[in-house]
Amino acid sequence: MIDLLPQWLREGLSEDVLFWLGYLTNGKHLAWYASVRFTLFAAVAGAAVALAMGLLGATLRNSRLLPVRLIGAGYTNMTRGIPDVLFFIFFPLAFEQTVEWVMSRSLCSAEEIATAVLWPPCPAANIHFDTFQYLLLASVSLGIVYGAFAANVIFGAMHSVAPGQIEAARAFGMSDRQVNWRIRIRQMWIYALPGLSNVWMLLIKSTSLLSLLQITDIVRWANVLGSPNFLPTAGLVHPDWRWQYYLVLLVFYIILTFLSEKGFTALRRRVGRGMITVED
Amino acid sequence: MEWFLGPLVGDIEMLAKPALFNIYFAAASIPIGFVGAVLLALGKASRNRLLSRLCSGYIYVFRGSPFFIQLFMFYSVALALNIGVWKPLGIDWLVLHPLFLGPAILALNTAAYAAEIFYGALLTVPKGEVEAARAFGMSRGQQFRSVIWPNLIRIAWPAYTNEVVFLFHATALVYFTLPVIDDQKDLMNRAGQLFQKDYNAFLHFSVAALYFLVISLVIFYVFGLIYRRMTRHMPHQRAIRFKPRWLG
Repeated sequence: MIDLLPQWLREGLSEDVLFWLGYLTNGKHLAWYASVRFTLFAAVAGAAVALAMGLLGATLRNSRLLPVRLIGAGYTNMTRGIPDVLFFIFFPLAFEQTVEWVMSRSLCSAEEIATAVLWPPCPAANIHFDTFQYLLLASVSLGIVYGAFAANVIFGAMHSVAPGQIEAARAFGMSDRQVNWRIRIRQMWIYALPGLSNVWMLLIKSTSLLSLLQITDIVRWANVLGSPNFLPTAGLVHPDWRWQYYLVLLVFYIILTFLSEKGFTALRRRVGRGMITVED
Repeated sequence: MEWFLGPLVGDIEMLAKPALFNIYFAAASIPIGFVGAVLLALGKASRNRLLSRLCSGYIYVFRGSPFFIQLFMFYSVALALNIGVWKPLGIDWLVLHPLFLGPAILALNTAAYAAEIFYGALLTVPKGEVEAARAFGMSRGQQFRSVIWPNLIRIAWPAYTNEVVFLFHATALVYFTLPVIDDQKDLMNRAGQLFQKDYNAFLHFSVAALYFLVISLVIFYVFGLIYRRMTRHMPHQRAIRFKPRWLG
């Protein structure tokens, strides 16, 4: 990467600066910077799933049927007792096993299934996810966990919509579905945004867990790059630098939260145009 | 039913001891974090600009970054200081022990979250009561002891309860970073190990989740009792309602 610098700039810089520039732009470091894409992808895809699950959960909790309402309540209260990391690890494993079970029914012989001691019963039913598939699974499990948080927020926001609005819509002869989609969900965002912004902050922070699912994300790269580097030809290249690398990650996440905060404040102002809300 | 209950009971037995490690992590870090949080909240509300900035900065940093990264960072800092500081002092066996380092990092983290809760509560302590205390000629220490503190802790308690439950959930992350010594495994660790043996994800992780759920409910119950006692003189007793820790 150093070669890309113009000649005059390279001569102007001291030996030390050039060395560090070269070090920080070597192949492994570039791979580290590039792995930010996994984090951002998981955050955005997870947020999309979480929003969908949140709407679904809130709708279930609003249902007229008791069993459906109970399912919704169970889902939204899931976060109350179970740590996110447990579900985050459990869901991809469970998904993989379910797929393998379905495959084993068709691919393995009955004898193999009956006598199997290991999982999966026969090698043909064994599946391996690649990084992208794991990333999708991670996003979905983030979405399910934080969807429960979002459902709590959206459920509350739906009930904050002024009752007069709902009554007016009914008086106009709108059906239940129309009232729900055109009035309730359309108007609830302004009430839901503060809560949703907090869910987003939680979600961003749990993208640091991606390395637990064998994804070579920024955390794993920081570990690899910072570990004491010993080469037989060059001796000890550098001692244990891990804490510096983790400090960079810490700062990265703080910047991310800071930017999100600013973004959500702007969004709130924009969505709140023309609405009477409690000003902050 | 035997095929179902047998493994279930077996798992509940096997995960009982690991659950104690999670409980230990939470129990060891909550008191320290509580004291730290009160000091940080008072610091943030202080009129001394420098102190206030420092405390706000601490709270922002710890609330703005993932606990997982904080664990990694403080563990690697502790390792980096090993030869220079801990070894000469002869305390490396203590500082690098996960049963010390884990609660220490948890306490640093929960102090920031709880401090934000206490700070918010401090701002909503009824002004009139503080003015009345001043009119009585109370010193600042007396004001704090007899007016500000009882109000603060009462206002903050429901939110603090949630923070404690989330801290307990955060203990699941400790052993993903810190080394496991001998058989000192926690719930996630042991469940993962059992899973490696027979690939029964549904059973082992569900039982681990059950432990987390039950202990969380116990925390809610006990803290609810304390809240009832705190507000026993008040006309309308509200039960604690669950609200997730938004900036977790």
